[in-house]
Amino acid sequence: MTSLIDRYVFTALRRVPEQQRADIDRELRASIADAVDARVDTGADHDTAVEQTLLELGDPDALADRYAGRRSYLLGPELFGTWRRVMKMLFTLVLPIVVVALAVAEAVGGGNVGEVIGSAIGTLITVGVHMAFWTTAVFVLLERTGQGREELGLVWKPDDLPRYAEGRRVGSQLVVDLVWITLLIAALVLQQFTFTAEPLLDPAGWTFWWPYLIVVMVLEGAYVIWTSRLPVRTHLVTVVNAVLALAAGIPLVWLAATDRFFNPDGLLGDPDVHPWATGSMIVLTVVATVWDIVDQARRTQRSRKGEPVEIPGTGLAI
Amino acid sequence: MTSDATLSQHLQELRRGTVVVASLTVLRTPGYGYALLETLSAAGFEVEANTLYPLLRRLESQGLLTSEWNTDEARPRKFYRTTEQGDAVATALRTEWTRLDRAVTDLGTTTGERT
Repeated sequence: MTSLIDRYVFTALRRVPEQQRADIDRELRASIADAVDARVDTGADHDTAVEQTLLELGDPDALADRYAGRRSYLLGPELFGTWRRVMKMLFTLVLPIVVVALAVAEAVGGGNVGEVIGSAIGTLITVGVHMAFWTTAVFVLLERTGQGREELGLVWKPDDLPRYAEGRRVGSQLVVDLVWITLLIAALVLQQFTFTAEPLLDPAGWTFWWPYLIVVMVLEGAYVIWTSRLPVRTHLVTVVNAVLALAAGIPLVWLAATDRFFNPDGLLGDPDVHPWATGSMIVLTVVATVWDIVDQARRTQRSRKGEPVEIPGTGLAI
Repeated sequence: MTSDATLSQHLQELRRGTVVVASLTVLRTPGYGYALLETLSAAGFEVEANTLYPLLRRLESQGLLTSEWNTDEARPRKFYRTTEQGDAVATALRTEWTRLDRAVTDLGTTTGERT
């Protein structure tokens, strides 16, 4: 039977580099024996003395880490900030794009709604897990080797600071807006051919209103690019934004109110669902349009007066 | 309760590093792990065995300590001794400690110590 001290020393040595093992073995045993003797001298019985000494030395694995000079963490504070930024970007920007792109591919390939949703969820989980794992793995590697930080631009410089001048959108925001507009157009076109057996929206709309909406959305894209290049927002921006919002909002409400928005033979044309769908559609469109116009007017006003604006993503004002 | 925990955390941060000065100073006379632990705790340095023993090996690998197995007694022990380089480092650290002590004291008097 092995003694408590043997078990402790074996456990600690397991995780100590091979070439130091014999020496640490001898030294640790001597130190433990010294401590036990000291306790016995003050009147403790042997077993209690051993137990207390080992208790004081603590977790043998932690002790081994200290002997080996190992870090007992995966990612240190130096790299954590960059890791978090990269993860945030991957999960809020890259992952949605990948999932939507694959879902669209599935839909074009002739999948029905169930298949598209199923594959989208599958992609979301698989791609998400892979992204998180491999990114973290690379960062852990960088942490362990201490290599490549400068080359990868992980060393922070004042130049890395984002530019917060109001009116100049951060580059990624522009990309998000444009991707969103592209997806809306794609969804509008694709719903005619895929996703469901019958189109979701009224096919009669293709004679004028659906192409009209596509044109409005393309103009929205042009507007986004235009404003991203403006140094300061002017009243013209407010007006153009309002015109575009109304150009999309008014026809949408009118079409929905006159039962020409959803396809009567489609998923939302069902008599039970149709009034709800139409009602929500009208309310959502009105709210979104009004909000868009008011919000932009407010931003322009602040920008012109030089009042504090929110820094995107932080909730702080500058 | 919270302020106790905060205080002990700050104290720990302040004490970190003093063990190195103390060890390098004490080990100008050769000594082994457990004896050093006793000496330090008698001198008022709070240090745990599981911190001190690995620290001694680290200082040895940095060339600040050298070691030798003493097998004269029934129980063989590893004796550490401060090297010349270790002594120089200890002197530098003690100088810095004195400077900090003076600086903190000066700050206390110039900014009006509360009584």
